[in-house]
Amino acid sequence: MAAALHTLSAAELGRRLAAGTLTSRALCEALIARHSSVNKQVGAFTHLDVADVLAQADASDTRRQAGQGRGPLEGIPVAIKDNIAVQGQPLTCSSKMLAPLVSPYDAHVVERLRAAGAILYGRLNMDEFAMGSSTENSALQKTFNPWDLTRIPGGSSGGSAAALAAGLVPLALGSDTGGSIRQPASHCGVVGLKPTYGLVSRFGLVAFASSLDQIGPMARSVEDCALLLSALASADARDMTCFGASARALTPAGDAKQLRIGIPKGFLGKGVAPEVVAAVTATVEFYRAQGCVISEVELPSADLAVPTYYVVATAEASSNLGRYDGVRYGHRSTKAGTPVEMMTASRSEGFGPEVKRRILLGTFVLSAGYADAYYVRALRARAKIRAEYLAALATVDVLLTPTVPTPAFKVGEKASDPLQLYLEDIFTIPANLAGLPALSLPCGQSGHLPVGFHLVGAPLSEAKLFAAGRLFEAAHGYAHQQAAL
Amino acid sequence: MAEGFDIDHLAKLARLSLTAEEKALYSAQLSQIIGHFQALAQADLPTIIDDARVVDESALRSDTPGPVLGVEAVTLIAPASRDGQISVPRVVDDEA
Repeated sequence: MAAALHTLSAAELGRRLAAGTLTSRALCEALIARHSSVNKQVGAFTHLDVADVLAQADASDTRRQAGQGRGPLEGIPVAIKDNIAVQGQPLTCSSKMLAPLVSPYDAHVVERLRAAGAILYGRLNMDEFAMGSSTENSALQKTFNPWDLTRIPGGSSGGSAAALAAGLVPLALGSDTGGSIRQPASHCGVVGLKPTYGLVSRFGLVAFASSLDQIGPMARSVEDCALLLSALASADARDMTCFGASARALTPAGDAKQLRIGIPKGFLGKGVAPEVVAAVTATVEFYRAQGCVISEVELPSADLAVPTYYVVATAEASSNLGRYDGVRYGHRSTKAGTPVEMMTASRSEGFGPEVKRRILLGTFVLSAGYADAYYVRALRARAKIRAEYLAALATVDVLLTPTVPTPAFKVGEKASDPLQLYLEDIFTIPANLAGLPALSLPCGQSGHLPVGFHLVGAPLSEAKLFAAGRLFEAAHGYAHQQAAL
Repeated sequence: MAEGFDIDHLAKLARLSLTAEEKALYSAQLSQIIGHFQALAQADLPTIIDDARVVDESALRSDTPGPVLGVEAVTLIAPASRDGQISVPRVVDDEA
């Protein structure tokens, strides 16, 4: 029996579309039919404009028939996290604050996807303003892990990861400030990359913490993830932190079997679940058997990463979210008196609990009398962490760790303890602080729940990470895996 | 609670109005989180922070103005607008 379209990779779908054995309309109709039965269970999408999707698919098929196909993503649906602007589509960040907003412009990455002929396929749920690790902070709806509907999908790109694991779409965009692509990818058994800071333009990404935020690709295989990155990464003058054309060449992949792999000392110790330790240890042994050189590396300031991140990220968030004042866009309170009362009421009604908590925290660490003790010291710690990672990556090609200490937890299990939830990101945060690329891909299971591992490389070493991922993926059965729904 | 931590002052700075329950909850949670930050106070850290930059500035272009959204697009997404301008509550009283 022929494989159902929703189980196929983007690369395979592209081959069928190019060969003329599949149309984009037939593909989109199959995914829309699956959406109508499966999304109710998973809650990955917050919005899908069926008429618009089919119009894009017809336009793609017309281009292809006229010999004007735009490349390997022509006719392939890509779902978009709801903090990335698509003109004419809702841009809510899963917040009441922006629930009325329809984006008046496209993000740079969306322009790139349109130019590549991809189908912009719906809006994906997320933690409000990307603040969270479980997608429980969405003000719009719950999203559940497709492998176990009583558990969280991770976050903040939980809708993206859940949509892929449920076979609702072959490719998705996420954003990653402290692990928000990689942690949900790990919990949902899919592949996610946080690119080098500066490789992908942030123009059109709603800002959370600007020195940490990156848009990145998510997929069910390393090959698909690399395919999507190649469409996203390009110079863009509208994001002044985006590398120019002359400074964005990736380091060559080299032979993955000759990689030098560093295992940070102590990263498989306290707080990591035994089944995660077992899966990651087996992964290390796989690479050793392939001929890779495995060595232990020291990252002495790793314990500072979580406090450093939560000072820097909340400081930047409290500043970035100052723009939501009920004046120019977003929610405006009807209890308006003076302008200041209107702003205060609009913000208090529009923001959810986690966003308020982080704004208050960021306000504290920047406030007079405390900025030197918290914010400035966090910047110093960030410099130290970055220097230690770069020093380690001068002696090895990649660092290998778990992506997350434990498998996906039950919905509500950590909702009342924000500090415990923050510690979910202990392995992913350093790559953001240091601006490094990092890839998460599946390496095992704990019962029925996926377990992922994490590769971190030097700046612009994405090709090396993909090569290492492909080597593992080719020898194991995790690529293209989907939950049975 | 961290020394000098004043939830009312922070809420005012952040333009947030908190209920009594929210004040109690956030005070407890923020105190716990700020306690976790004490690791930074005890760490041996470099005195300069230049290396905290994650972008090589030689790779950046100049920050020059470009196209912006038109008045129609801007007023379409505004909570309230009139005659091509965004409306806000009265700032200055007639009597003032």
